[in-house]
Amino acid sequence: MLKDLRVSCAPHISGPLSTRTVMIDVIIGLVPVMAAAGYYFRIHALTLILACCLSAVATEWLCNLIRKKPNSVDDFSAVVTGIILALSLPPGLPIWAAVIGSCFAIAIGKMVFGGLGANVFNPAMAGRAFLTACFGVLMTTWTVPATINPAMPRISVENKIDARTQATPLALSKQAIKTRSQADVVNNQLSAMFTGNIGGCLGETSAIALLAGGLYLLIRRIISVHIPLAVLISAFVFASVGYLKNPEAYISPLAHLTGGGMLLCVFFIATDPVTSPLTVKGKWIFGAGVGAITILIRIIGEYPEGVMYAVLLMNAVTPLIDRLCTPIPAGGRPHVS
Amino acid sequence: MLSQHTGAACRPLVREGNLVQAGQKIGDSDAYVSAPVHSPVDGKVKEISLQSHAVLGRCLAIVIEASQYNLTKHPLRELKDDFDVNRYSPEQICSAIREAGIVGMGGAGFPTRVKIETNPQFPKETMIVNGCECEPYITCDYRIMLEWSKQIIAGVDLARKASGCSKVFIGIEDNKPGAIEAIDAALRAHADSEDIKVASLKTKYPQGGERQLIKAILKKNVPTGGIPPMIGVVVLNVATAAAIAEAVIYGTALTHRVVTISGEAIAHPGNYYVAIGTPVEDLLEFCGGVTQKSAKVVLGGPMMGIAIADLQTPITKTTNAITVLTKEQIGRAKFTRRQTACIRCGRCLEACPEHLNPTKIAHAVKNNLLDVAQSYYISACIECGSCSYVCPANIELTGHIKTGKIFLARQKKKMPG
Repeated sequence: MLKDLRVSCAPHISGPLSTRTVMIDVIIGLVPVMAAAGYYFRIHALTLILACCLSAVATEWLCNLIRKKPNSVDDFSAVVTGIILALSLPPGLPIWAAVIGSCFAIAIGKMVFGGLGANVFNPAMAGRAFLTACFGVLMTTWTVPATINPAMPRISVENKIDARTQATPLALSKQAIKTRSQADVVNNQLSAMFTGNIGGCLGETSAIALLAGGLYLLIRRIISVHIPLAVLISAFVFASVGYLKNPEAYISPLAHLTGGGMLLCVFFIATDPVTSPLTVKGKWIFGAGVGAITILIRIIGEYPEGVMYAVLLMNAVTPLIDRLCTPIPAGGRPHVS
Repeated sequence: MLSQHTGAACRPLVREGNLVQAGQKIGDSDAYVSAPVHSPVDGKVKEISLQSHAVLGRCLAIVIEASQYNLTKHPLRELKDDFDVNRYSPEQICSAIREAGIVGMGGAGFPTRVKIETNPQFPKETMIVNGCECEPYITCDYRIMLEWSKQIIAGVDLARKASGCSKVFIGIEDNKPGAIEAIDAALRAHADSEDIKVASLKTKYPQGGERQLIKAILKKNVPTGGIPPMIGVVVLNVATAAAIAEAVIYGTALTHRVVTISGEAIAHPGNYYVAIGTPVEDLLEFCGGVTQKSAKVVLGGPMMGIAIADLQTPITKTTNAITVLTKEQIGRAKFTRRQTACIRCGRCLEACPEHLNPTKIAHAVKNNLLDVAQSYYISACIECGSCSYVCPANIELTGHIKTGKIFLARQKKKMPG
């Protein structure tokens, strides 16, 4: 009566999610951020995002080819890495530099560890760290948004002095800390930081777009609330300490949360499942660590921005956090027999 | 089938060529943890041979050729009005249960007598009756609760008396208001039913798991690696309770049960009262056959059931359902959809009702690191399948964990003590 019966292990049905749908949802969550980047940085946004995505996918495809592994680009994780890397770059960065960063992110940040799921560090942040180390000046030169000055020349090694640039809120904050004055300059920019009409990395300037994208991911349950909340709370607490101590030298906690890559990190970078802990307890520890290290670098360290190093440092201890937080079974630990 | 339960297998009491009657005991064992088997039909013993068994692979079975007459057994008789639980002593109840070959009909098939008989080591206080059928497709317990509610209550009362439990909870999921109503009505009609309560529970998978049910009703956890009696609890399935009533009051053996035959590929899905031992193929034919699209025949539900390769596999005392799935349905499930690497999203940890770390355990088993798997409490897994179901990377987490448990059991056998 029945031919070709199949036999396999239970369960015989499965939920609707796949790795690809998860990645596509992340990309959808990034759409408002990319739209804001496109609005403020026009052609720069388009070219950088496209260049990063294409080179990321091409690199993954090539790595698979070399390793003689089945092709894995159709899970779209390389696209996500490409977009996030592009969004964390200065808008005026030359295309070739972005391509180098993107190739590094995928090849060294991800594929040498064994591909998706095996990487220790967030690939996009690894790529960005590499670019910062190689092209320090290019990576810290900020083009003003097109809404302020439509000219927006692309930065190159030769004309970097001429490029119309603007100090970012965090650079001003660093200055305020050094001179012990004028922190309120940054605090007064809060509304511009909220909409995104200010200098900074491609995808980090518009807090409202980041919140919209983050909310989408939370509603779709692609990310859980633990890491974003932990990062925000711990960053707020640490920033408040500085602000309460000397409001002239330290910018307000709210400016810390909306400024720089904080929100991009909160919703899209720190929540990368591969490089963050598995357990809820671990996620709280991880998030708290990211928030604390970011603010410590920002107000005590030499760099104006600390998100990237905070994420990379916490990535490195994620396996330890996971080991620390082995879940205890519902029935308690079994008795040793 | 001479092994339809947890415990020692029976040895046959009949020989080839013998004539048997419906209800006649045809297999038994001297072991304490065991249950006899009975013939469901009148007929002649054709052979005693190895046959396909859903759980054990192969098992010794008595093949009976049914005579043309007296094929049907009437489903559970109506209770007489003068039913009185006080007429039966605990010993009488226990021996009737044992003689009728009653085992847990929800799945594991633990001999019911062993479960409810008083044991000085673990005094029992609370009895929980499991009316939470949480797997998709299965509705046999629901039907039983609607139609045999009086018998269930009588069985519960008898079991309570035999086990010495003071309190009884009947757990039913809140998506079955009809069952809750029917059981409530039967309770009201029943004398001294104050100690029996219906607990309406949230509908979720796996609410009907023994440990989950106890947690939901009593807010107590059964210790990891332990069994419910350790916290003074006995769990009985509603079908078992009905069987107890029949066995004690009428002395009828457990030879028939209600089976849900369903799935997208079945022409006439429904709940059927079938003789235990009927081959799956006959039942599928009786239900109008299956469509061409069918690809998988599962004994049990789609979450925990066992896919069978041989349609001659018979129904046993613990088979609550036959679910026939279509190609499209299993096309969405494991093996056929591409698997990616674990993205460490943690959904399996969230889904695990026992609060384990399925991905770590599965990876440890995959790499043959059984001690690591144990350090993540592999043995606490109840194999509900939730982790595999939610996994976006499509990893057979439950399968790996089951494999690990089998390896561990083998290891233990090799090194006693």
